[in-house]
Amino acid sequence: MKNLEELRMMREKVKRDLALRTGQHRIKIVVGMGSCGIAAGARDTMNELLDLIEKNHRTDIMVTASGCFGFCAQEPMIHVYVDDQRPVTYRNVDIDAARLIFNEHILNNRVVEQYLFSKGKK
Amino acid sequence: MKDIADHLFDIFENSVNAGASEVIVRIANTENHFFCSITDNGTGISGPEVLDPFVTSRKTRRVGLGLPLLKKAAEDTGGYLKIKKREEMRGTTLQFEMDTSHIDAKPFGDLAQTFADIFFAWPEMVFKLYISTGGSEELVLDFQRLRLEAEEGLVDLLKLRKHIYEVAREELKKIDIG
Repeated sequence: MKNLEELRMMREKVKRDLALRTGQHRIKIVVGMGSCGIAAGARDTMNELLDLIEKNHRTDIMVTASGCFGFCAQEPMIHVYVDDQRPVTYRNVDIDAARLIFNEHILNNRVVEQYLFSKGKK
Repeated sequence: MKDIADHLFDIFENSVNAGASEVIVRIANTENHFFCSITDNGTGISGPEVLDPFVTSRKTRRVGLGLPLLKKAAEDTGGYLKIKKREEMRGTTLQFEMDTSHIDAKPFGDLAQTFADIFFAWPEMVFKLYISTGGSEELVLDFQRLRLEAEEGLVDLLKLRKHIYEVAREELKKIDIG
């Protein structure tokens, strides 16, 4: 049997871990995972992003998948939603691009022009 | 699609797009015959025309290549791909088989990674993986149970990815995959 303090700590830890999945996220990254995205390496892109989030101990960032949205030649594509800013869509996001976008956009809130596809409405 | 791992992920995405909340995968691999069945509870397909690349219900583009490509990959090895609407309830069942010793067979790729990816790409999905060996079937992965355990603090959520990957890899090794 654990003492009360241990249980409390466990509860806090689980709460933190769950923040990763339960919607209280400041940043959301959506990876295009249609047939086109997958064929272009979107799974590698997603895993790189998950690795980076883990390495940076960021529980306020969520990564999720969507289907194809019609620009197959530009895959892998990702959408980045930060707070209530305009969502930004990137194209040709391979592993290196994912690293760059994570360091610049996610960590420092600077849009990476090199891979920019479009900016959405608020 | 360079390997079976990519194809599996792709079929899974089809299920998600069809509004499925539950997907059950069964695989077996004996004497160079890889069998895979995927059952979901999505909207179901209308007929065999889904295997035609120029038939698609989506509006973002007019061709759908995922299924035709997998069908071709299976048939190239002397195998098959079947897809049908479930009769007892809403949903679709897809089955394919391929001869993995055939010279045209696609490599498996990292199947274990596919299952780990599914867990994170669609966090709400009910997903079960069964592996058959010699007539008996074993439940290898159950995402719902893993999530419950994570909520109770028994499994660290951040470590889950690695955990799923390792469980899947271990079990797949038993049937000579990976």
